[in-house]
Parts: sequence; C-alpha cells; structure tokens
Amino acid sequence: MTDFPMPSDASRKPSKSSLLVADARTRKRNAAEKRFRAYGAGAIAIAMLALVILLTTIIGGGAGAFRQTYLSIPVALDAEVLDPKGNRDPAEMSKVLTLSYGRVLDAAVVEAVKANGIEIDGLTPKDMSGLISKEASAQLRNRVLADPELLGQTVDVNVLVNGRVDGYFKGRVTMESAAADGNTSPEQLKLANVLKEGGMLVTRFNWDFVTNPDASDQRPEAAGVGVAILGSLYMMLVVLFLAVPIGVAASIYLEEFAPKNRWTDIIEVNISNLAAVPSIVFGILGLAAFINFAGLPQSAPIVGGLVLTLMTLPTIIISTRAALKAVPPSIRDAALGVGASKMQSVFHHVLPLAMPGILTGTIIGLAQALGETAPLLLIGMVAFVREFPGAPLEGLFDPATALPVQIYNWTQRADPAFIERASGAIIVLLVFLLCMNVLAVILRRRFERRW
Amino acid sequence: MPLSWALIASLILAIAGYFAARGRAFAAAGPDIRRLHSRPTYHGYSVALTTLAPALAIMVIASFLRMTGVLAEQAGAYVGLVVTAAAVVGLVWGLTRIGIEYKARNTVERIVLGLLILCSTIAILTTAGIVLSLVFETGHFFQKYSWTEFFFGTNWTPRFQGNSNLGVLPLLWGTLYISLIALLVAVPIGMFAAIYMSEYASKRVRGIAKPAIEMLAGIPTIVYGLFALITVGPMLRDYFAQPLGLGNSGASVLTAGLVMGIMLIPFVSSLSDDIINAVPQSLRDGALGLGSTPSETIKQVVLPAALPGIVGAVLLAASRAIGETMIVVLGAGAAARMSLNPFEAMTTITVKIVSQLTGDNDFAAPETLVAFALGLTLFVITLALNIVALYIVRKYREQYE
Amino acid sequence: MYDTNRLENAVGQDDIKISARKVQVFYGDKHAIKDVDVDIQDKTVTAFIGPSGCGKSTFLRCINRMNDTIPIARIEGDIKLDGEDIYDKRVDPVQLRARIGMVFQKPNPFPKSIYDNVAYGPRIHGLSRNRAELDEIVERSLRGAALWNEVKDRLQEPGTGLSGGQQQRLCIARAVATSPEVLLMDEPCSALDPIATGQVEELIEQLRQEFSVVIVTHSMQQAARVSQKTAFFHLGNLVEYGDTDDIFTKPQDSRTEAYISGRIG
Repeated sequence: MTDFPMPSDASRKPSKSSLLVADARTRKRNAAEKRFRAYGAGAIAIAMLALVILLTTIIGGGAGAFRQTYLSIPVALDAEVLDPKGNRDPAEMSKVLTLSYGRVLDAAVVEAVKANGIEIDGLTPKDMSGLISKEASAQLRNRVLADPELLGQTVDVNVLVNGRVDGYFKGRVTMESAAADGNTSPEQLKLANVLKEGGMLVTRFNWDFVTNPDASDQRPEAAGVGVAILGSLYMMLVVLFLAVPIGVAASIYLEEFAPKNRWTDIIEVNISNLAAVPSIVFGILGLAAFINFAGLPQSAPIVGGLVLTLMTLPTIIISTRAALKAVPPSIRDAALGVGASKMQSVFHHVLPLAMPGILTGTIIGLAQALGETAPLLLIGMVAFVREFPGAPLEGLFDPATALPVQIYNWTQRADPAFIERASGAIIVLLVFLLCMNVLAVILRRRFERRW
Repeated sequence: MPLSWALIASLILAIAGYFAARGRAFAAAGPDIRRLHSRPTYHGYSVALTTLAPALAIMVIASFLRMTGVLAEQAGAYVGLVVTAAAVVGLVWGLTRIGIEYKARNTVERIVLGLLILCSTIAILTTAGIVLSLVFETGHFFQKYSWTEFFFGTNWTPRFQGNSNLGVLPLLWGTLYISLIALLVAVPIGMFAAIYMSEYASKRVRGIAKPAIEMLAGIPTIVYGLFALITVGPMLRDYFAQPLGLGNSGASVLTAGLVMGIMLIPFVSSLSDDIINAVPQSLRDGALGLGSTPSETIKQVVLPAALPGIVGAVLLAASRAIGETMIVVLGAGAAARMSLNPFEAMTTITVKIVSQLTGDNDFAAPETLVAFALGLTLFVITLALNIVALYIVRKYREQYE
Repeated sequence: MYDTNRLENAVGQDDIKISARKVQVFYGDKHAIKDVDVDIQDKTVTAFIGPSGCGKSTFLRCINRMNDTIPIARIEGDIKLDGEDIYDKRVDPVQLRARIGMVFQKPNPFPKSIYDNVAYGPRIHGLSRNRAELDEIVERSLRGAALWNEVKDRLQEPGTGLSGGQQQRLCIARAVATSPEVLLMDEPCSALDPIATGQVEELIEQLRQEFSVVIVTHSMQQAARVSQKTAFFHLGNLVEYGDTDDIFTKPQDSRTEAYISGRIG
C-alpha cells in the first residue's frame, strides 16, 4: 500500500489558489478573529481585575481592625475617689461613675510619663490623658466592681489607646494630619512613639473586634461586631426554620402534586417575579406589615428574619424545584409500582434523592440573606445597639443589629477609623459567606448524582 | 407567656396521642396486622395531627385578632386555655376514630397535602402583602400631596416643617442615568466574558475565570457600596473629575454606575452563557462548515439567534440596576439633581426610600409617606421589566426545545 | 487490506481530488480511525458506508477539518487536496472550508431569510462585488439545489419556515453557493421522509457534474443508488473501497459481505 501511484503535482491542472498561502481576505478575517478573541479575553481580565482590586482594598483596609494598640501602665486605684463611703459595697460603689475612673486613669498616665522621665516640648496634660480610649475608664470600672479588693492597690492595667494614636501606628494618621486635628496633636503622637519604644505601648492582634458590641462615635477603637454577628445568626435561624420548610413544602406541591391549571400558573409566574422584586421593597413590606400592622418591635431579629424569609423563599423554591425535577420519573414509577401512595413515593424516595440539591440551594439562599442590607435598614436594624440580645426565643424580640447593617452604620460615622472597622466587618462577613459556599460546593461534590 | 405554655401542652398531647393511637391500632388489629387498612404509625400521625391542627389554628387566629386590636393583651391567658381545650378535644375525637376500617393514611395524606398547598400560597400572600402595603400607604400619600406634582415635579426638597417639594423626576433621572452607565459597563463585559468562556477558553482558563466571576456574584452589595465609597469614588474624583474641572464629589453617578456595572457582570454573563449555550451546535457547525471563522459564527449566527434571549437578559439586568440600593446609597450621593455631568452626585428612588424611612418616622407626614409612593413606582417599573423579560426569555427557550 | 490492483485501475480513470494516507483519529484515549488510506476522485459521488460508530462521519469531518472544533480530537497522517496537505501549519481551515463544503445530518438553516442563508457563504468569503452578483449567485445556487421554483417568491421569508426536505436543499444551496470543489454530506437524508430523500438524491446526481461529492450514509440502498464509489468502514478501519457495483455484487472482504447481507450492522 505504500507505493501508491501518486499523481505528481506538476501533472495537475493548476488549482485556483494554493491552500498554503492565505489570501488577503482571509488574513483580514483572521485579524478580525484575533481582535474579537482579545475583546473576550479583555472582558475576563477586567472582571477578574475588578474582583482582585475589590478584595485587596477591602481586606487590606480591614485587616487593621483585628489589630489594636494597647497601653499597659500601673494605676493606683485611689479608694478615696472610687469608694467614698469606704465599705466596699458593690451597690454603693456602682454609684461612682466612669468619670471618676477616667480621672484615676488620667492621673496614672501623667504619673507614668513622669516616672519614665519622658520630656516632650509642648506636651499638655490633655495630650497625656487623651492618649487612652474613653472606653478604658468603663473597662477599669467593670474590673473594679467585679473585684472590690483591688481598691487601694496599684494594679497593672492594659487599656485601649485612643483611635487616632492607634491610627498613627497603622499609618492612617500622620504628624501633619494630627497638627490640624482637634482630637490629637503631634506631641501626643511623639509621646506614643516614646512609650512604644519603652514597650509600654503595643499593637497586637485582638479578638475583641469580633466579640465586642458597637461603640459610640468617640471611641472607634472599642467598636466590635459581636452584637451584629449574634443578630445575623438569630435572623439566619428564623430564615432556616421558616423559609426552608415552607419553601420545600411549596416546591413539593408545585412540582409533584399541583394540577396544571390557571391557579398553579399564577403561582409560578408570581414566584419568578417575586425573585426579581428589589430587596428594598421587601423592607417596605416588613415595615408596613410586621411593624406598623402586626405591632412587632423595631430592630428585632424576628422581624428581620421574617423579611429575609419572604425574600429568600423564591430562591429556595426555584432551586428545590430544580432538584426535584432532576429525580427521574422512573423512581416515582418504581415506588408507585410496588403499591406506595403518591405521597409515600414523594416522601420516601423522591425527597431523599433530591436532598443534596435542596441543601445546596438552601445554603445559597441563606448566604444571600446574610449579605442583604437594604430591607433591614427600613425595619430599624440600623439603630445603635450595645446590649447583646437575650437567648432565643425571647431574644429574637430584643433589639439587635446585623453584620451588613453594622457595616453600613459605620460608613455613616465621621471618624475615618470607622471605615477600617467597616472593612474589618466585611472580612468577617466574607469569611462566613465563604464557609457557607464551601459547604455548598462540598455537598454538591459529595452527593452529586448523575442519572 | 401562657400561649407558649399552651403550645408546649398541645405538643405534648400530640406526642402522647401518637403513641396512644398506635397502641390502639395494634390492639384493634389483633393477631393479624394486615387486617388494618392503614399501618399503625399512620393512625398515630392522624391523631397527632387532629390534636395539633385545631390548637394551632386557634392560636394563629388569636394572634391575628390581637394584631388588629380586636383582642386585648390580657386575653392571652384565656386563649391559652381555649387552645389547650381544643387540643384535648381533637385528641379524644381522633382516638375514637381508630378501627380496622379507618383510613388513617388517606386522612394524613389529605392533611399533609393541605399543608403543602398552604405553603405554596405564601408566595401569593407575599405579593398581595407588598401590593396592599404599597397601595394603601400611597393612597394616604396622595390624599396629602397632589399626584401630578409627585409624578411631574422636578424638585425634590423635603422639609420637616412641611411644604415640601416631592417631585419624583429628579430621582427617576438619577436612577435611570446610573442604571444606564451600569448596563454600559456590564453588558459588553458580561457578554464578551460569556462568549470567551463558552467558545474560546481552554479548560484551565475556564476553571479559573468561571469561579472568579461567580465570586463577584456572591459578594453582598454592601461590600460593593463600601468599595464605591472608599476606592472608586475618590479615584474618579482625584484622577478625572478634579483635573477635568467637572466636580469635587467622590459620590457621583459614574462611581455608582461603574461599581454597579461590576456587580452586574456575573449576572449578565451567566444569563448570556445560558442563552448562548441554548443555540444548537448544529447552527455553529453549519456556519463553520461554510468556512466562517469562530467570531463570524458568533456575530452572524449565534448572537442573532440568541438575540431575544439577550434582550431579556439585559432587561433583567436593568431591573436589578434600578432596584439596587446599597451601592447607590454609598456611591451616588443624596442630592436630587437633573444634570448630564456624570461626575456630579445625584440620587435615586431607592436612596430616598431609605432616607425617608430610617430614623423617627411620622406616618402621617407626606415626607414619610412619599417613600411608599416611591416604593410603588419602583415596584411597578421593575415588575414590568421582569414580566417582559421573562416572557421574551421563555418564548426564546421554547424556540429551541 | 483491500485489493490494490483494482484501486490502481480506478485511479487511472479520473483525477484524484483528495488523497488520504495513514489517517489516525483519536478522541481522547479512543482510537476512532485507524490507518485509513483512500483516494477520492473528482466529479464522482463517493459513499462511505458502515455500521454506526464505525468512524465514517469522523473521517468525513477530517476532510474539511471540522474535527478541529472538538478540543479532544487529535489527527495524524496526511490528507491532501489537489496535492496540498490540508493539515499543513500554513493552511487556514477557514480558507479550506470554503473549498470543501459540508452538509449536515439535520437540516440546520440559520434563523435568517432564505436569501441570507444562501448569501451567507459568498458574503463572508467576499465572492461578489455587488448586489446584482450576489443575487445571481443566490439564484444559481438555489437552482442548483432544485429549490428555486419553490422559493423564488419568498426569498425574504425565514429559512426555518420551510419543510424538512426544503430546509435540507436550502442547506445544500448554501454550501454550493461558495463554489466549493468538494461537497461533504453527512447522512443528509437521515432526517427526511422518503419523498424529500428522493429529491435530495436526485440533486446529488446533478451535483456530481460539477463537484466531487462524498456522502456518508447508513442506508446501503442509498449508497447503491447515488454513488459510483463506495468505501466500507468497520470499527475505525477502512475495510474495502472500490466501485459501488463491485462492492455490492462481489465484495472481497468477508466483513463487507456480512454487512451488505445484513448480518452485521
């Protein structure tokens, strides 16, 4: 077969053009092809670049929220000031306000500066006392009230430093900006530098950001997302216990039992439209129906949970129906064939087989609900809440806030230190979302079934 | 809370009823269990349901009456008693029905089916709730403020002391302007990304790009809002608006539009991906077999064939953009203005709903009630867009099924 | 594998349009085409027959490099068109496909008007300088596909509105419009009813006057009716190739005989 008589090229009629040479038109068309391809690659590149910039700016800006500057100094707890009656009775002592503790702390700072022989030109007492956070006096007060025996002693305390000084060590505040800032001064920052060299001032990792409640405008250094996490968790519980059973039940009915008629048609169109209603409209519904009409309290996780339930229902229904639809009819026929009722075939066979799909859809719906902000603003979740809500079920009616709302709240504060807090809260939120999505992916991989 | 005690009591009764009924069913069957019409567990479920159902129903009705103010707060204890009594009656009645002939399974299945139907109507109830709450309060608003001034007014200056100008046009303008910019960003990028991934990308590139783009979709809008506030806004202001002398505001139409565009990229790209993949391979083969390049195939055969679906996808994206809240709250500003300069701060319907409804609300003042009229306007616009888009997409899918 | 002498005779009769040597195709790990050598003559209808999965369509798709569009497909060996290797690096598949047209199993008119369907190829390849020329190409192609009389009054209506047989003839007209030298047809009648099949078969006979036609078919009767040359494929091998009459009346290979007598397939 190898020595086939091949017609030589020369003996052939000349063909119209050789294949080996691209003609001008083909070259032009191939250039256009390359351009088109480049546009596509460019689009992907832009999208990925946007993602990278978004994540790096937020994470870069928020990482600082997990580090905080502390000052450790010896404080003489003057019993005269802190327990004027002198009987160490906590009830009596609690009448002493944080203001007095503040004075004790201020004195301690001045004392520490003197004791270490620090001299800085133009350093005022205000600069020294302003070094520590306004939150510090409350912390000290709580410590003393818990252990009245400390009174009269000189104890080492570890207190938060003012947000500006903290910002100085994180690069947010500079000497120049401090000169124009009423809340700090270059002298204060110099003092902080000296203290840092002396090892009294340290910037270290703090878990308090995750566990603390919010703090007022003046003390960004003490603000945390504790209440917000708990509030979000409560709302997710409500969504989980309401949206999932209702959504799955509705999907089972629509997919397995509903007759094909006008009414089911209306329900279906309705669900797909509901899935696209702007989230803020659900907020208006929550305000009008749950707060104004039903009289439920504002800022309560139960109301937020109900609103988010209504919002996630369409998502859960749509994904559950897809999961049910993916179970082949032969399974149903097999169950019916051995004498099971329709209901038995669905609950004993179809539903368990569809479960992984349903769970995945549910987790994605929950993740969506966790990140939702707008409707919660309208039902009062944006309020300033420092108290942790109680245990469920009563706790569901206590005021609380939610992670995304807390983020929004902090963006509205004047002090730029809150922007760092907001970015930090986003990191917490993204970590939760990431965990949920990873769980969904694992479920899908683990239980994915091909029919 | 006596009601919660009543609830717990009913639950305990129901569980007790389940076991009692099962026992009775076994007893009724005698030595041959097959004589029973239904398995004993179904008898158990049936009694548990007849115990719980009336109790729960009374409880729901009572809470509803309490909300509407028909029942006083002190009535709680009596309601609790009634609920427990109903549970007991249900339990006894259920137990008397047990026998060989009794079709417990059918009863249980009927009740379960009823529950399923009830759940499926919640979606309808939600829509009804939305429409009712919006329409009702909008009605109040129009009693206090002329509807012509609302719809055709070009001034938005709410005042606490009354005498406000509440014209929707500047808000509508801001909304549409920002949405337009968002679509100008998202539609080309999203579509090209979808085309590249479905027609060109190697498996490896797809394996990286697809999850990355999906990740953009999973990021909450508040994060995009903060991104607009701290990164995009200042960047546009410092590098474009100020050097060009076009404005000094970080919050601007362009800031919000760009960031919203990024948010919509995954939405557009996943919809386009579905639509492009719905075009049958045979059409692609036909074009390639005639000697067209892949890009010619896409531009001249695939996209025209997919056009209705793409139009639907763009409409859906527009509806998303119009209803988006957090990005515009943080990125667009609060000044109601009708200007063409994209570097100026403008505001949208959603921003004003938030600002009119947060804080202390006086539900008699038009300044608060206007939020409901804005909400209704938003709802109607997005609903119309969705209905048209879903209709087009559905028609398109049918074409290739 | 098959009788070389008879093939040499055949080669002597006419010009060889396409010659394939030692062609191998792999789909991932699957060896779909093994060592296929074949010479396809100009102005002849060549039929590829064989049981389903035997590789006849795969081989057909190699001839105009349609397999390039499948990422996992790998091709080895030479295929020459007029003595030029079509798998040479310098060859642009786009230019190649303009010279080797293809008609597919299922009629696949574009969702455009009848006119635009036929004009598509000439437009992308720039075969006409003006509208009048394009009109002429469209008319000639539609006449060539025996469709002109049925559609001449509704050229602007969508091509998808035609009947199945008309759609397939429209696809043939579309392929003919680029004036290819070879026309590949992948089971062009499998989606058509007997009447439409008859029309397309008649058309193939006419097309032979101008082109080299290669048709893949699962119907032996069709191969016998329309082709002058027949190649029998089995499990990725080219088992036998020769004049159609010979293949059907005195097959050399036992597998061919088994197939045409209906024992395998």
